[in-house]
Amino acid sequence: MELDGTYTLDASPQQVWDALFDRDVLEKSIPGCTELLQISPTTFSAVVKLKIGPVSAKFKGDVELSDIVPLKSCTLAGKGNGGIAGFAKGSARITLEETPEGTTLTYTAEAAIGGKIAALGSRLVKAASRKLADEFFSKFSAVLAEISAENHIETPSESVA
Amino acid sequence: MNMQRKSGSTTKHIGHSHRRLNAKRHLAGRGQFVSDKTLPRMLHAAFVRSPMARGRILDIDISDALKAPGVMRVFTAAELNRICEPWSGTLDHFAGMKSTPQNILSEGDILWAGQPVVMVLAHSRAEAEDACELVFIDIEDEEPVIDGAAAMLPGAKLAAPGLTDNICFQTVLETPGVDAVFAGAAHIFEESFIFGRHTAVTLEPRAILADFDSASGQLTVHHGTQTPYQFQDLYARHFNLREGQVRVIAPDVGGSFGMKLHLYHEEMGAVAASILTGRPVRFLADRLESFVSDIHARDHQVQARMAVSAEGEILAMQVDDLAPVGAVSAYPRTSAAEGNQVIRLMGAPYQMADYRGRLSVVFQNKVQTSQYRAVGHPIACGVTERLCDMAAEALGVDPFDFRARNLIRDDAYPQTSATGYQFEKLSHEACLQQLRQMMNYDGLRAEQAELRKKGIHRGIGIAPFVEITNPGATFYGVGGARISAQDGAIVKLTPAGDVQCLISVTEQGQGTETIIAQVVAEQLALQPSAVKVVTGDTDTTPSGGATWACRGAGIGGETALRAARKLRDQILSIAGKILQADAATLMLSDGAVVDAATGTHRLDLAEIGRIATYRPDTLPAGTDISLTVAHHFAPQGYPFDFTNGIQASLVEVDVETGFVKLLKHWVVEDCGTIINPLLVDEQIRGGVVQGLGPAFFEECLYDDTGQLTNGSLADYLVPMACEMPDIEIGHVETPTLDTILGAKGVGEAGTAAAGAAAMNAVNDALRPFNASVSQTPMTPARILAVLGH
Repeated sequence: MELDGTYTLDASPQQVWDALFDRDVLEKSIPGCTELLQISPTTFSAVVKLKIGPVSAKFKGDVELSDIVPLKSCTLAGKGNGGIAGFAKGSARITLEETPEGTTLTYTAEAAIGGKIAALGSRLVKAASRKLADEFFSKFSAVLAEISAENHIETPSESVA
Repeated sequence: MNMQRKSGSTTKHIGHSHRRLNAKRHLAGRGQFVSDKTLPRMLHAAFVRSPMARGRILDIDISDALKAPGVMRVFTAAELNRICEPWSGTLDHFAGMKSTPQNILSEGDILWAGQPVVMVLAHSRAEAEDACELVFIDIEDEEPVIDGAAAMLPGAKLAAPGLTDNICFQTVLETPGVDAVFAGAAHIFEESFIFGRHTAVTLEPRAILADFDSASGQLTVHHGTQTPYQFQDLYARHFNLREGQVRVIAPDVGGSFGMKLHLYHEEMGAVAASILTGRPVRFLADRLESFVSDIHARDHQVQARMAVSAEGEILAMQVDDLAPVGAVSAYPRTSAAEGNQVIRLMGAPYQMADYRGRLSVVFQNKVQTSQYRAVGHPIACGVTERLCDMAAEALGVDPFDFRARNLIRDDAYPQTSATGYQFEKLSHEACLQQLRQMMNYDGLRAEQAELRKKGIHRGIGIAPFVEITNPGATFYGVGGARISAQDGAIVKLTPAGDVQCLISVTEQGQGTETIIAQVVAEQLALQPSAVKVVTGDTDTTPSGGATWACRGAGIGGETALRAARKLRDQILSIAGKILQADAATLMLSDGAVVDAATGTHRLDLAEIGRIATYRPDTLPAGTDISLTVAHHFAPQGYPFDFTNGIQASLVEVDVETGFVKLLKHWVVEDCGTIINPLLVDEQIRGGVVQGLGPAFFEECLYDDTGQLTNGSLADYLVPMACEMPDIEIGHVETPTLDTILGAKGVGEAGTAAAGAAAMNAVNDALRPFNASVSQTPMTPARILAVLGH
């Protein structure tokens, strides 16, 4: 299964880049995330609760960032085990580009699913995955907006100082 | 005091329609299915299955599951498999066949998505399922073997451990002259076919309730199966019990279709768990489990050629069948039997002298395939009949005329096919003729031509077929399998004069018990309702093959007939002693012994039962007072009783959407002596629907990682009543002379050729577009694809 998407974010590439590696931002952005531990600067372990079609499952998995070209691109690979619900694994190549509006983020992802989710939900999986991706980036963009709003507030106080 | 008795004319039952004896009981909600059965202290089983198609288990953590509410035991392979002898699905007469030994739970290698890895026992199925969610299995996944052709390439990844290649079984069947015939033939027609993988989808899923009594050492297994005696033998041998310690009871079974005669890991798990815990253990498959563990059917890729003379005679066929069957061969009947029948049934209805069939059965990481209703027939018939229609079209001959020219003549028997099958007597010509009239063929062709002018595209397809029924030991016995080639019956007169028949053939809703009652009743001059038939219990009925390969009527019926005649003779012998008359002057009529010459009533059956049971002292010394007789019967003439018939399909194809409307279906069938016309027609109708299902709707879809992607009835389409056409049925009766009864099988006839007739009909409709489809199911998308949309 292949997925891709493009999002325009109202933030500079530097801000987007930092957020992508920020545990707190990721925890707020990943749909259904109940636990996110940063194991190293580039690896996380996560617990995510999801419902796809008739199957609800708690996935335990690892996420790793690799092929890092700072401020430009990276690969985000993950593997989740949902017990009897099955498993999901996939990787996404994320690229950032500076635009007048801020930053354009493009991703192309490849995902595979197995077990009960594949057998019962395959009709719904692509739509569900796209929905999850959209949810992630809309939350991500909201968190980014919060951060930059905070920065705006901080900036004048700095100028005063 | 004697009432006037009617003459024996009311006691002719063979050939008469009787409704199924058990239908009322089912209608009243009094069916007894294993699915509903409960026993005190019963535990429920659920399985944790591999979500991956291939891999190695690195770690299993059951600690949280063990603490879950209601959980009694959590088994892994280490604990459960040790009490079960492994099994391998090979047979000696399939030379060179191989398959990796299997046991209940995976011992490390993952072979298909859905393979059971951990078994949880709990007080309820819900609690068992909840605990399954707490089991952690770490699997290192490996690339699975999915595509059958790729699996055969040198250097291909292996589908199971212990293999050196993915070939399960290969064979070639050929006549010496086949190459020369092809070299000299005026016409050669060629096509590639794909027959999709589907499954049985029984109304009642697989169900088992195993009950091991550690005090007595008795294992009782309530099992929704069609072959209780086969499982008695298997449970005894694989759990190291004596056969006498094992009782298998198959009560009402909600459909089997061949799917419920294979050994499954989960059933073995239930038996093992009952032995280990000393408590009754139940496993009832849910629908998703059925999709990933019931055997799948078909899945054949066929390359086929037909050589035809300038005069339109079929000279030879050459066929390559590639059959991917899953990672291991099914046990105990193997996964090679279907391919073997595919290559042997090709061209069977026709006068065709030369042939080459090649079969490659290969391993891959999917659910196992094995025998399902009409084993091999729809593939052989589909390929043969499509090539016939291609030849007829190219030669400008009507499809009926092409068949008429090539079918084996009705007066040309006995015959041996190019593939070695021996036919006692078939009736292809009579069936063809009857079909043509029944369907008003010429009228339909005229209507088709008219409608085409209006842009309505109807198609007519026909498909003659041969069906294998009444198998003897040739099927499995010669290959070393402990699968009974005979059946047995006990018929008894009770002290009150009632009749019971305990017989080894079984009832899955097809009406076996009803036809057995008819056969017994006719021999004893009773009404069928006066005969109680008992089936499906290895402790009470004699051993036998039970239900497979269309043997219930032909073999079971003959067994019952001979047993009932034995009882008749014994009743008359005792009556002779009581009446001080020569038994040869007596006969049975309407529940009594009468004078054979005059029909005068002499003695009620109840009186014979009373005297033999309570007052044997009044009989001469040495009188054999047995009113219980047993008889076993195995076919001894031809290795199989072949039947034949022809089907026709009328369809309308919407060339804009690819949807096919099934307008009408016809079957003319010859199953020899018809015991019960109503039930024979029901068998044919049900069979046709099971042939049309995979022709248009049913398919187990897999992605390229070996995941089944339509494991629910929302995504897997079964044929529904509203999509099915009216099915009109006609009969020709050519009894086999191998038996007194003369009945052959009929259960698979409908399935054998329905898809072939339908494919020819669809292609007939597509003819103006110069398009044709050769893949099943013929989905709207596939039809649009061949139309170039």
